[in-house]
Formats: sequence, structure tokens, C-alpha cells
Amino acid sequence: MRLQHAILADMRFQIKHGFYLVYVIITVMYLIILSFLPEKVLSVLLPVVVFSDPSVLGLFFIGGIILLEKGQGVLMVLVVTPLRSVEYILSKVISLSIISVAAALAISWFSYFPSVNWVLLILSTILTSGIFTLLGIMINAGCNTVNQYMLKTIPYMLLFIIPCLALIGFPYSWLFTIVPSVAALKLMLGVYHGIIWYEATALVVYLFIVNYILLRFAVRVFESKIVYQD
Amino acid sequence: MIQITLFRNDIKQILRDPVMTLLLVAPLLLIIVFKIVEVVLIPFLMQKTGFDVMPYASYVFSFILLMNSGMLGIVTGFMMLDERDGNIAQLLEVTPLGRSGYLINRLSFASILSILYCLVSFAVFRLAELPFYSVILFCLLSAIYTAIIGLLIYSGADDKVKGLTYAKGLNSLVLFAFTDLFALNWLTFISWFFPPYWITMMIKSPYSFTYACIAMLVHVIWLGFLIFRYAKRES
Repeated sequence: MRLQHAILADMRFQIKHGFYLVYVIITVMYLIILSFLPEKVLSVLLPVVVFSDPSVLGLFFIGGIILLEKGQGVLMVLVVTPLRSVEYILSKVISLSIISVAAALAISWFSYFPSVNWVLLILSTILTSGIFTLLGIMINAGCNTVNQYMLKTIPYMLLFIIPCLALIGFPYSWLFTIVPSVAALKLMLGVYHGIIWYEATALVVYLFIVNYILLRFAVRVFESKIVYQD
Repeated sequence: MIQITLFRNDIKQILRDPVMTLLLVAPLLLIIVFKIVEVVLIPFLMQKTGFDVMPYASYVFSFILLMNSGMLGIVTGFMMLDERDGNIAQLLEVTPLGRSGYLINRLSFASILSILYCLVSFAVFRLAELPFYSVILFCLLSAIYTAIIGLLIYSGADDKVKGLTYAKGLNSLVLFAFTDLFALNWLTFISWFFPPYWITMMIKSPYSFTYACIAMLVHVIWLGFLIFRYAKRES
């Protein structure tokens, strides 16, 4: 019940701050660009677009959200409310995932791509979004300004994005699937190109485990370095 | 004199803060990345798929210029938002510098950097066929575009999160640099009112006096409107 209320409050906050509106604009922008691409190029670019923007939006926004709430004293109040840190973090992750899923569904639906595995699309977007939002919470520790946060995200982004080039394919490139972003992109490609059920299941389970581990870490970092920082 | 002193202090402050220094050299990294793409990826793409990027070179260059100026504008916008949250902006406004002085100081710093990176971009991508006055004009337009983005974030956003939303939305403006490719009349018409479209047009037709005038006019109108809105809001 507490979590449900926290999610609703976060969604209201996000609507008020124009998250949904800006994603409507961005989705329209992508749709215009994608509509001009031949199907062969679209089949490669569509998963990359869904993976690189809607799925990663949590990383972009979470830094500002936490810095703002810290500045407004929300985090100090949080300590004396029944809402636990894990619920606070889960509420952020789930509410941002909702925008990710909505944008991913809209881009995929209006691109009129012939074969989309909708269930897998929702699952992979939620799991990818979760990873990046939780990563953002951990990066946020020690940051006092948005510029600091943005700069700190660059090495993490490189660390997560460069291994994705392994999907081009070279000897032993499958080993890179251990990197969560590579596993997530592999799953996202499977959404549009088809994927064997046991491979999809393995990737979903793996990403779920990564999310769980990151959540545990994020709670620890959030409590020790963000809430009790001062 | 106050402006120069503050400007000098700003440089000192930025050089002392490694985060700000890195953020301000970030456009240089972007130029290096695009140069690597030009040298390595484009020939690779040509060899593997037969896809030639060269016909789209003007769009790519326009994208690089806009990304550089936009990035500096976003960094400046957030710097000013942080200063507003920390009440530093209010403190500076009651000094002889004043409110407008504060704004000019912050925006001109980013704009000068934008001019510098514009020149670096021209040197790195060897666009020698462009006339000298075009290069000067591009530098001016880049400087104005940086100020526009910085002002859009600072005057539009009430807090950091809204600033991020604005920054995300403002990235979409770059789409207008490519609308010429889509050949959609309604989209081209909308693009006329946005600076990125005219940057591409000027790169495509560097000798066109009409494009140069319209580009300058669109940029100046945007800047003027945003300064007016800021002044009205603050008063």
C-alpha cells in the first residue's frame, strides 16, 4: 500500500515536471525519422532506438530527481516516515519504468514493424530501465550538482555501451553477454528478430538477478551516502 | 571592468573545479569522436554495405556544430540553475554586476567557448571550401545558439528536474537540421522557425546571402524573445 502510494506520488511528480509530455515529443521525433527508413535498416535501428532512449531514461532523470528531493529536504523527512528506503527506490524505478514501457510500446506500435514480441518488449524494457535507474541512484552518491552527476555518468555509460559492439559478432563475443547492457540489448534484438525461448528465459532471469543485486547495492549506497551524507 | 573581473574569476573558478573543466572540454571529445567516425567508420561502412555518407556530410557537420553549441548551452543552463538553488545568483544580482550583468557574464562565457569550438570543428573537418565570412557567421550563430539553449533551460525551468526535462526536449530541436531530408512540407514549414534548420541550409548553400540573413534573423529573434521573457519574469 505504501509502495503503491509512493508510485502514484512519483507519477504525479513526473507528470507535473513534463516527463510524459517530453516523451510524447521524443516519440514523435523518432517515429518521423524511423518512418523514412527501409525495413532492413529499421529492423536494426528500431531495437537500438528503444534500447538507447526509452530504456535508459531513468539514468538521465534520476540524478536530478534525487538532487532536487535532497535539496528540498524530502530525504530527511523520509527517515521519519514509515516508507522504507527500498520502497522509495522501488517507487522511483517502477514509475520511471512506466514511462519507458509507454514510450517503447508507442515507438514499436507506430513503426508498424511486422513482428514484435510484445510481452518480451515490456519485460526487456522494464528490466533494462531498472538497471539504468538503479545505476543512476548509485552514481548520484557524492554529487551536489546536475553537472557533476552528468559527468559521472559518462564513464559508466561507456562501460555499459562499448561492450554492446560485441553484438556485431567476432570470436568469443558471446562472452560479453555477462555485461548486463549486452544481455539487455540481445534480448531487445530478440523482441524484433525472434529469439529461442530458452535463450530469452535465461536472459530475463539473468537481468532479473542483476536488477536484484543492483537494488541491494542501491539501497545501501542510498542510505549511507545520500540520506546520511551530511 | 566588473564584467572583465568576474569573467577572470569565472575562468579561475572553472579551472579549479575539475568537473566544470571536464564538462567544458566535452565538446572537444565530441569532435574527436566524430573525427574517428569519419576516418574509421565511414570507409568501413562504405566497404561493407556500399552506403556512402558523403552526400550527407553537410547534415553531419550541422549536427556536430549544433551538438557542441547545445552541450555548452545545457552546461551553462544547469550551472545557472545550481547557482539559483544555492542563492549565488541572488547574491551576484545585488552586487554592482546586477541581474543583467550576471546573465551576460554567464552566457557570454559559454558563447565564447562555442565560437572557439566552432573554429576547431572547421579546422578538424577541413571545410576549406566555405568562404571566410561564412565561418565568421557560423561562429556567431553558434554563440547565439548556445545562449538560446542556456536561456531556455535557465528561464524555463523552475528546478533541476524541469531543467533535465527541458534538456531532453531541447535535444529534439536537432531534428530540424535534418527535415530537408524528409521532404515533408509541413515539417519543413515548422522548421523555418527553428535555428537548426538554417544552420544546415547555410552549410548547404554557403554563398547564399538570403539564407545567411534569415539564419541570423531567426537566431536573433529567439534570443531577443528569451531575454525579454527572462526580464519580464524576473521583474
